[in-house]
Amino acid sequence: MQRLSDLFYDSAAANPDKPAIWCDGKVNTYRELAELVSRYANLLLHNGVKYKDHLGIPMNNSIESVALIFAAANIGAAIVPINPTLPVAAAKTTFQAGDVKHLIARKSFYEECEKFGGINIEGICVCLDGTYPGTIPFSAVQAESAERPEISGINGDETLILTMTSGSTGTPKPIDLTQNNKYLRAIAHIRMYNITTNDRVLAATPLYHSLAERLVIMPLIIGATSILLPRFTPEIWLNCVREQQVTFTIAVSAQLAQVAELLAGRPEVESLRCIVSSSALLEPLVREKLINKLHCDFHEMYGTSETSTITSINFKEALNKQTSVGGCIPGAQVQILLAGGEIAGINEIGEIACQSPLICNGYYGLEDVFNQALAADGYFKTGDLGYLDQDGYLYFSGRKKELIITGGINVYPSDVEKCVLEMPAVSECAAFAYPDQRLGEVVALAVRLKPGLSLRERMVQVHCARNLADFQQPHKIFFVDELPRNAMGKIMKTKLAEYVRS
Amino acid sequence: MREQQVTGSVAEMTSVEEFVLKYIQKNYTVPADIDIYSLNYVEQGYIDSLGFIKFIVELEEEFGFEFTDDELSAPAIQVVGELIGFVESKIAQR
Repeated sequence: MQRLSDLFYDSAAANPDKPAIWCDGKVNTYRELAELVSRYANLLLHNGVKYKDHLGIPMNNSIESVALIFAAANIGAAIVPINPTLPVAAAKTTFQAGDVKHLIARKSFYEECEKFGGINIEGICVCLDGTYPGTIPFSAVQAESAERPEISGINGDETLILTMTSGSTGTPKPIDLTQNNKYLRAIAHIRMYNITTNDRVLAATPLYHSLAERLVIMPLIIGATSILLPRFTPEIWLNCVREQQVTFTIAVSAQLAQVAELLAGRPEVESLRCIVSSSALLEPLVREKLINKLHCDFHEMYGTSETSTITSINFKEALNKQTSVGGCIPGAQVQILLAGGEIAGINEIGEIACQSPLICNGYYGLEDVFNQALAADGYFKTGDLGYLDQDGYLYFSGRKKELIITGGINVYPSDVEKCVLEMPAVSECAAFAYPDQRLGEVVALAVRLKPGLSLRERMVQVHCARNLADFQQPHKIFFVDELPRNAMGKIMKTKLAEYVRS
Repeated sequence: MREQQVTGSVAEMTSVEEFVLKYIQKNYTVPADIDIYSLNYVEQGYIDSLGFIKFIVELEEEFGFEFTDDELSAPAIQVVGELIGFVESKIAQR
């Protein structure tokens, strides 16, 4: 097994003057990026960060964030990246679940922590922009040596990234991705999509998610160029693809739907050779628009954060499988499980379960919870529903688990419901997916009030703004007399969008 | 900081401006060569459509006023300088 940091430094040594990364108008050559990685690694070591320590990072898309990933890999530390818009209370819970010892954040994060009672960090705090009392200023990085610190004993089994997911209980589940996981995932995708040193690979999703992490690691360990979009809007994406001559990207379908809309009446894009859509199924009409304007191979893939990619399909080569999410990638296997655990027949819908060398190392500190997600033969149960056809192609039918995917980001309804139930006037509530043309789905909320009490929509918005992250905010709020339930008394989430409309 | 306008109290106007500029730059600092007051912070992704509701609600809460639905759908509210001016005039009307 090769180490990620060795592969990166080898690429840097072979291509010192080649652009390694572009982000927000700034370019770093491989030499400059390797120096930055080394300076970060030295800064961490000199301030007491040890092998296997965990670093909490409210992470934005920037060259500094990418350098931190490789710096952590180089010293055998792990990063716990979080959405920087997460409210302080949620950030604290997440860092606790991820066993965070040190904190690296922007000044605004420290200010926010101060405002909400402070944050207890056992180790060091680094301020990424400017200075803040009690933190090591970013400028200290410049004083560090640009020589790579050599750490012996790193074998690839070390956790590199704990990426957070939630669940039905609302408790964070840290997905444990080791250096080997990240290496195998990057190499699998490099081979699958034939990425070469000539490619310019775009990462346009947030870096605190595993997709963008993979998209920056892939080019940087083979000497290609990483293009990192700082913020997404369809206009910024399109301009970036044109100006930076992007050749390959994996995008979430909600982004692509917005890009397709913008492309109408605009000149075609020439640089792309391959684009992959992930996260949720793309409408066939949207896909057709994109193929016509982008002139490149178009793939769709299916996977989860725990498993990475499981199936992939190239629509040019699989003309009779246009509604499928593809066949298994090399090394992966899919089973469809029925409610009793038996394997479903051809074309029979059940839960998608899979086996793959790319599966994560588990949920950090929650071995039992991860084991519960495994079927008897060790297959990981995804919580998604689908079926296999006679040729082994997978078709996605829906979700078994309660999940809202808005703009490619997962929102767990229980997180929103727990927050809204704190309001004294609320008797019960349900967060559910509401169809949206731009974002695929948005968070909607049905609220039933206690008898005789009233509550304004604005008060619910204020409470959510205070206690939930950006992506969790309810976009639509409906006050209802009752919530639709099935015979067992369970709220029928899938019927809610229809129910509130009527 | 830009020059103070003549409406409202100086303390309030300064805090509106500070609040807005700080919030927009929570995750990304606007480059110095960009005129921040004419920046469309939504189009440029400093606050995305998912974060817009949270931003507006926090702004309303901080300064004790409410936008109407028509005000929220006006394109000008997405431009930094226009938003600051607008909030300041709302405060002055109280």
